[in-house]
Amino acid sequence: MSAESISVIKLRGLLLVTVPADPDDRTVSALQERVLEAMAEHESGGLVLDISTVQTLDSFFARTVVETVQMVSLMGGRTVLAGMRANVAVTVTQLGLSMGNTLTALDVDRAIDMLNAEASKGLRV
Amino acid sequence: MRREPKATSKSKATVLGSEDSFRMLVEGVTDYAIVMLDPEGHVVSWNPGAERIKGYTRDEIVGKHFSCFYPPEAIKRGVPEKELKAAIKHGRFEDEGWRVRKDGKQFWASVVISALRDKAGKLRGFAKVTRELTERRRNEEQIRILNEQQQTILDASPTMIFYKDRENRFIRVNESFARANGRSKEEMEGKTCWDIYPRETADNYWQDDKEVMSTGQPKLDIVERMETHKGTMYVQSDKIPYRDLEGNVIGVIGFTLDITGRKQAEERIQQQSREIMELSTPVMQVWQGVVVAPLIGSLDSQRTQQFMERLLDRIVETNSPVALVDIMGVPTVDTQTAQHLIETVAAVRLLGAQVVLTGVRPAIAQTLVHLGIDLSGIITRSSLSAGLLVAFEVLNLQVVSKSASR
Amino acid sequence: MNDLQQGEFPIESENDIVSARRLVRNAAVAAGFGLTDVTRIVTAASELTRNIYVHAKSGVMRWRFLKSESKVGLELTFEDSGLGIPNVAKAMEAGYSTGNGLGMGLPGAKRLTDEMTVHSEVGKGTTVVVRKWLTK
Repeated sequence: MSAESISVIKLRGLLLVTVPADPDDRTVSALQERVLEAMAEHESGGLVLDISTVQTLDSFFARTVVETVQMVSLMGGRTVLAGMRANVAVTVTQLGLSMGNTLTALDVDRAIDMLNAEASKGLRV
Repeated sequence: MRREPKATSKSKATVLGSEDSFRMLVEGVTDYAIVMLDPEGHVVSWNPGAERIKGYTRDEIVGKHFSCFYPPEAIKRGVPEKELKAAIKHGRFEDEGWRVRKDGKQFWASVVISALRDKAGKLRGFAKVTRELTERRRNEEQIRILNEQQQTILDASPTMIFYKDRENRFIRVNESFARANGRSKEEMEGKTCWDIYPRETADNYWQDDKEVMSTGQPKLDIVERMETHKGTMYVQSDKIPYRDLEGNVIGVIGFTLDITGRKQAEERIQQQSREIMELSTPVMQVWQGVVVAPLIGSLDSQRTQQFMERLLDRIVETNSPVALVDIMGVPTVDTQTAQHLIETVAAVRLLGAQVVLTGVRPAIAQTLVHLGIDLSGIITRSSLSAGLLVAFEVLNLQVVSKSASR
Repeated sequence: MNDLQQGEFPIESENDIVSARRLVRNAAVAAGFGLTDVTRIVTAASELTRNIYVHAKSGVMRWRFLKSESKVGLELTFEDSGLGIPNVAKAMEAGYSTGNGLGMGLPGAKRLTDEMTVHSEVGKGTTVVVRKWLTK
């Protein structure tokens, strides 16, 4: 899984990143860099992290995501984690990982709606 | 016979070798019947052993034909004559068989008939030496019968039974065992485990055997899979040390029971339990975007685990942002149950949905507060319908009465 | 000599963490574990492999199929010759959801597996063995 395979898509004023199924540490770190670059370039209001294909979410990944959310927030945007798989959710909970206050959504559609909504219901984790 | 009164050493030898001494010898033996027959088979001489064994006195039997010692069937078949002929032909004839005493009782005898010839080679008669073996025969017969009985029992048993020696070789197997392996008893006896099973399987069996033989302790309730030509079987084995009369371990005796049926039944029960569990914790979609999971009964770790997994799957499946978990039917909530519920709520959040805990009865509310369990952060309601209102709120839906649209 | 039943894999670089995950995934799937259990095992392996890489720089991971009477399972061993853990009991106590990542290794892996044993000697290294059984 090479770092180059991370692509950040600009979509309706937001950034969309699709995370590959089993990214190695370098890819995860590259993800963070790419996101921050894109945030700077496009001044986006928000980021959707599509993790619907991710099968393993370990502590390194979790920590990087939380950091990224904080960084995006500092740059004026909000992040939604979209499409976590059921088996991953079970494992993350059992492992005791904290995803911080990251917003979550069932899929990318809802994530986009969430970020674009004027008066967001603000589902906070 | 005339005897020399004063004997020199040479003549002493002559005396000892004389017919008189020979007679002394024959007369002294009572364990054996030593009988001389004429060339036609009539009794010529009779010793005390013969009287003891066959019952006739000398006067009663001398001159009679020796076939009277044989059972009627043997006489009919001409056995006595055949034996004499064999003795003539080969010089001697040896046999074991039934003979008849004077009182009609039969006894098992070991008999040697030797043809007696003079220096010219002419047949002068026969020497017949008979020993009674009834006792031994009885014992052997008993052993044979016992063996047969034992084999019958072994073969009738549905339990698979086998004896193995120290080299993992089958000494003896019963019918059930042979059949399970798709072979005959004869095919299996003498073969080693490695001749019959694949290497890994044979190695596994061997491990157990070695343990039993070295510890001298039985190994019981060994549950394992057995591949037979008919498919996979589940079996339960007991292996015990096989000892000789001195108590030394010379192998292993195995009793193996086919528990495939039992295992299948167990699996069916497990399957049914799972199905019951699923039935008792259904997760139903009541509206687009809302699933309801009524929990009934107490929640143990395993049940909560399964519930959590199923709830999450259904949420993803139905793409529902709201899950109403109703605990009206849960009798008590202890710290562990509460912990499980909190875990479930956290997992649901990660998916991008949220849990509304409904059916919180006063008693439960009291318990939770007393236990110091913090459920803040989770929306809770006392009834399912109240929970439904929350769901609609979250989904930005509203229930409007038809009559109100005027 | 690595067949699917058992094998070992050296942990020497950052890349080895994801490779280890893949190996463990294959083994867990081959052993017959369901999706959620596979995820648990792989995640536990990821944490423990990461521990080796972060704390000891190098080590080895071993896997082994287990067969016991009526159940099957998978055993993973993580061995390094690093600094060792001074107080294993304390390391195991690390709280639930206290971490933002590092240090979740041991207690987290314990929650995700059925059995775990830790042997550690300061200055010598650490060996962690985890097992997960397939119930059925």
